[in-house]
Amino acid sequence: VRVIVRVCACDCVRVIVCVPSLCEDLLSSVDQPLKIARDKVVGKDYLLCDYNRDGDSYRCSTEYRDLYFEGGVSSVYLWDLDHGFAGVILIKKAGDGSKKIKGCWDSIHVVEVQVRAGAPLPVQTGINNVNCFYLPNLGNMDMENKIRSTLNEIYFGKTKDIVNGLRSIESLPDNQKYRQLQRELSQVLTQRQIYID
Amino acid sequence: MTDFEEPLSDEEKVRIAANFVTHAPPGEFNEVFNDVRLLLNNDNLLREGAAHAFAQYNMDQFTPVKLDGSEESVLITEHGDLGQGRYFDPRKRVSFRFDHLRKEASDPQPYEGETALRSWRDACDEALSAYVKEHYPTGVCTVYGKTVDGQQTIIACVEGHQFQPKNFWNGRCRSEWKFTISQSSAQVVGVLKIQVHYYEDGNVQLVSHKEVEESIGVTNETLTAKEFVKIIENAENDYQTAISENYQTMSDTTFKALRRQLPVTRTKIDWNKILSYKIAASCFSNFSFMLVQWAITSFNTPSGFRHAGPSS
Repeated sequence: VRVIVRVCACDCVRVIVCVPSLCEDLLSSVDQPLKIARDKVVGKDYLLCDYNRDGDSYRCSTEYRDLYFEGGVSSVYLWDLDHGFAGVILIKKAGDGSKKIKGCWDSIHVVEVQVRAGAPLPVQTGINNVNCFYLPNLGNMDMENKIRSTLNEIYFGKTKDIVNGLRSIESLPDNQKYRQLQRELSQVLTQRQIYID
Repeated sequence: MTDFEEPLSDEEKVRIAANFVTHAPPGEFNEVFNDVRLLLNNDNLLREGAAHAFAQYNMDQFTPVKLDGSEESVLITEHGDLGQGRYFDPRKRVSFRFDHLRKEASDPQPYEGETALRSWRDACDEALSAYVKEHYPTGVCTVYGKTVDGQQTIIACVEGHQFQPKNFWNGRCRSEWKFTISQSSAQVVGVLKIQVHYYEDGNVQLVSHKEVEESIGVTNETLTAKEFVKIIENAENDYQTAISENYQTMSDTTFKALRRQLPVTRTKIDWNKILSYKIAASCFSNFSFMLVQWAITSFNTPSGFRHAGPSS
């Protein structure tokens, strides 16, 4: 996994240097691994992405992150919209550092909150409390659970199945008959193709 | 690192294009080639500058090819490379021209190879072919008898692949095994490789390799060939088993270390509880906020606040 993540970042750069006109399109449609930077004033790590290049930043509730990630780094960036606000929630967790295993989980959640005219507003006494009001909806991040399950069961499970389809530990059953059938089928198909041509 | 503002030289561009091509997952060479062709937008440059990359890719991948009129395939490998685009099939004792883009063989000519090693090569090929039929649904093997660095060496190459792009996956395994026959005891040196790509609504690759070394007694052709194949069978079985076991380990430990399926409390976060806890903790003295707190907690079951920090 580590090799592929590293190769992806280099590949992006390689495509861009070959075809500079694709730069904007590529960077906006391909997610790069999140980079960590250090806020020396507060003494905390935060995450960099496309959205916080001009940066107003806000530290997110650590409860969610700690319960699911037991550590890691998170950052939230919010900006006003005409009728509400939008934000991106970034989480980065590197593996537990055991020697034989290395990995990294990056999440990027982009949310948009629209406040309809006439809807009851939360009591406003400052930015902190507005965010607290919306927290139950923002915090759900159900998609992340789904992706994690999908990764575990489907993606990893499927690649394992493919490996076991390439080679069999047990002797293949009736392999001589199987081979004969394969040969006959392939001959019939070849003949059919020639006929069509 | 190159500044994005400066245009890249042709040499550098074609080097990057060649690099993409040599890293194409099994079964996806054409797709990568076509994309790279579009990006580079210079067919002559691509053909001349990256021809070596096409050949390198096919040799690395142990690409199988069928000669006209033959039911069996031969592998394209560095050991069969005769130069000038020609390769040989040690089983059929034939050399041929190979088109790396079309993946087609043509112009077969007789090719004797090293006759001194023929009996050893044939014995190993026969034993290995039987083994490949037993364990690989679509496997191919090619065995060479060659003098390498002055040593008479048997080199065995095995390849098996499944390409199912309609189901968004491709996979290939390769292994290469060598030993010398000049002395009564030798080392079998092997390398096993597996690569799988699954890309349905996502993108996952498994890329794995393992090196193996085992000693072998060199007696006569038949007995040694049998022992050689036994070593290969055991090593490849162990490797395949280890990969399956790794999946389980990865699921249970590493993946969990990155992101748990459930918090350590073993239930999903109750966001309303966290919210009311947070508001109560930070806004206790403000009357208007006590109203909000009350409105929310009235919907919750009265089980008290759960501490929302990580368990130790």
